[in-house]
Amino acid sequence: MSRIIVAVVLVLLVSASPAFGKSYLLYLEAQGVGGYSWENDEAIYYSMNPVDVMQKPSVGFDYLQRFSSEKGDWGSFALQMRLAYNEAYRATGEDEFQVQLYNAFFKYKAGFADLWIGHSRIAFGLASYLDSHALLLQPLAMYGYGYDRDWGVGATRDFDWGNVSIAYSTGSGMPLEFDGNYLVSARASYGVLSRDNYNIGFSSTYGKPIETIGYEKIMPDPTKTFLMGADFTYFWNNIENRFEAAAGEKMDEDTYAFLWRIGVNFLDEDRLKLEAQPVYWKSGDDWFYEISGGVSYKLTSDITLRGMYTYDGQMNDNRIVFQIYWYYKLL
Amino acid sequence: MLGIAIMKKISLMVAVAAILVLPARLLFAAVGCDLNDPDRDVARLFPGSTGYKTNYVGLDQRGGPALLAQIEERLGDKFQGLFETIDVPYTLYEVFKGKEKIGYIHGVNQKGQYGGIQVFVVLDLEGVIRNFYFQKLTSRYGKELRDPKFGEQFVGLTLKDFYNYDVQTGRASGPSGVEKIKNPVPEAEPDFKAALRGTKKNLILVDEFILGNKYLQYHKAGGEQKK
Repeated sequence: MSRIIVAVVLVLLVSASPAFGKSYLLYLEAQGVGGYSWENDEAIYYSMNPVDVMQKPSVGFDYLQRFSSEKGDWGSFALQMRLAYNEAYRATGEDEFQVQLYNAFFKYKAGFADLWIGHSRIAFGLASYLDSHALLLQPLAMYGYGYDRDWGVGATRDFDWGNVSIAYSTGSGMPLEFDGNYLVSARASYGVLSRDNYNIGFSSTYGKPIETIGYEKIMPDPTKTFLMGADFTYFWNNIENRFEAAAGEKMDEDTYAFLWRIGVNFLDEDRLKLEAQPVYWKSGDDWFYEISGGVSYKLTSDITLRGMYTYDGQMNDNRIVFQIYWYYKLL
Repeated sequence: MLGIAIMKKISLMVAVAAILVLPARLLFAAVGCDLNDPDRDVARLFPGSTGYKTNYVGLDQRGGPALLAQIEERLGDKFQGLFETIDVPYTLYEVFKGKEKIGYIHGVNQKGQYGGIQVFVVLDLEGVIRNFYFQKLTSRYGKELRDPKFGEQFVGLTLKDFYNYDVQTGRASGPSGVEKIKNPVPEAEPDFKAALRGTKKNLILVDEFILGNKYLQYHKAGGEQKK
């Protein structure tokens, strides 16, 4: 599989022939993640959950290729992979080094919309447009409400007032599974974040996804899911606010989840960021909460240092996690 | 199975080792400045266009430190900070009407009052500004700076006009279209100056990357403009 992917990338690199400059970008990334869990009374090498994918010590790359004709761009291909150290597998005897596939999609500019196929973001919640690939603080998708990435097809169209996106995916997240599972998601949003400094979105997802954490199944069979979601992002001066809510039915039970993240940027070029994030959710008959505080400092344009403290009410655990993240343009 | 595991471990160690032995100067890369949604933005910024082509260009691949020094000399200021490293991949959009190329769109990241701002210029094939656009701008005075009347002040200007503008002092040394650009909000002076510096930097890079340095003839070393 990996040989095929490398071969595809090489072919694309050779076939790229823009008028000037390049039509592709290739970044390398590496991160070290380590911390301490008071509940487990031991060092940890993950940021959220031992078997979840983000964040763990890893090396990887991020590749983007654009395709164009004499009339302009008509498509793109993205591939983003990591080889991550998975400490949790030491106890089970499984391979501790796990290949993680994030972006793996082809996007075609059909005119009426951009159509994608592969492993990409589905149309639900903050994760539909917020890139959390390198971050310690995560949106509701990493709490089981949606997916950071999912396998499937989708369409997205930007309007002057906002965006409309739909996706039909497997509902399996990181692994590609076919067991009667599927997920339909749709999101409409108002406001262009980079222009208006706000974006408010309403989304919905329906189907029979497979409950997974990272690459692990936590339920043997697909279960009916129906969620309604709302999200809001607002930038003002050096302050960033993000809010996300989801409500509906998961695993035959009513469920609710709320997330708020406030961040304040300091220093030139927003080098220093302080953040706080409470998350509150209902699973079964119980309500849980998690409170996190984060600090991020851009040491150079390539290297970012992050730290996070989390109180996990579900596990009654206090965790502190540090991350050094490196992202380097190779080509 | 065991062999695959060993191979993965070796691959990881090699990758980590490669990172550790990279020369320190390579540890400065950056992310470029793309249009948020090129389909929508190109059509809006360049009425009548039917398509665009995305190109990535970097100073590191075009001439390295020597070219960077030339660009800085033309700008009248040093490239510094996170947004102006030598390997920033600048995103240049060629704009088409059918198969005919009709212009360019180029944006740069620029240090502003609150983090970074993104300054885009829309140019015809001769490098004349046809439109001006702030993409990222989180200042409370963003409404006034994004007003079309502010951007209209840039229309018709070229790099020749900006050679008169000293990006360090914020003053124009002679008559040019730049000195006629008025700041709509006195309190937004840092972002206003950042916009002018970003525009001058933007135009110099376009002149270098696309226009064959046709405006270099108007520049004189030392910051004084050739007549």
